[in-house]
Amino acid sequence: MEAQQTLKAQQAQRVRTGIITIVVLAILTGVEYWISVSFTGTLLYLSVIALAKAGLIMNHFMHIAQIRYQEGGH
Amino acid sequence: MSNPADTHVAHHAARYPRLYINRLGFWLFIFSESMLFGGLLASRFYLQGLYRPHELSQVLGLIITVILLLSSLTAYLAEAAIVHGDRPNFLRNTLYTMALGTIFLIGVGFEWNAAFTHFPPWSPFGTVFFAMTGMHALHVLSGVLLLGLIYYNGRRGAYGPEDPWPPEAIVKYWHFVDVVWVFFYAALYLVS
Repeated sequence: MEAQQTLKAQQAQRVRTGIITIVVLAILTGVEYWISVSFTGTLLYLSVIALAKAGLIMNHFMHIAQIRYQEGGH
Repeated sequence: MSNPADTHVAHHAARYPRLYINRLGFWLFIFSESMLFGGLLASRFYLQGLYRPHELSQVLGLIITVILLLSSLTAYLAEAAIVHGDRPNFLRNTLYTMALGTIFLIGVGFEWNAAFTHFPPWSPFGTVFFAMTGMHALHVLSGVLLLGLIYYNGRRGAYGPEDPWPPEAIVKYWHFVDVVWVFFYAALYLVS
């Protein structure tokens, strides 16, 4: 029973992380769209935002840190 | 007499958990895929600089981008569900992801329809546009098919907290397709 509750809590935590990440991604997408339609010569700003978005996805959704081996870790 | 190669593999299998080896192999695959997409991205700027035809619909680009981002969330929720043994949510979110991926492909189809008129594949910008979006769309299509496979297997009782790797790998692949689009979207629809 307790193990099940722990699993549920862990799942809820992951769901929260996913929703926060997607909200941040949506905001960054809106910002880059606004920059694109409002200014010219925006390559640098757009590149920085694209890198930030890619980093968020790779860190929070793809769990890139898992490739760092930890003894006994999963 | 044992094969030295088998002994070598057995030694590493004992040293590293199977899941870790799978993940490492997956990231090597992602790295090699990045070379392909990186080459396409570089060719866009090499061939066309920062030029963007004004007929390219930025609004449609934004809509399909949001759809693909949303699909990343549903894919993530599907993975989180199966890791925690929540099969109904896994199946539901896998279906949502497939549906959003299909809508994305339809959006790209609309874009292609307009692109054929204004910058066909044999025009300078059309060459990079169709190469980039075409290669990406093929990856989305293969992702949708793979998601269909885990949905089918999941309905038959496959996967769970003890066996999360197949859904995890396919969901990670889906996220990678999203990462590629983050750069392609900016390079095709936003720079000018």
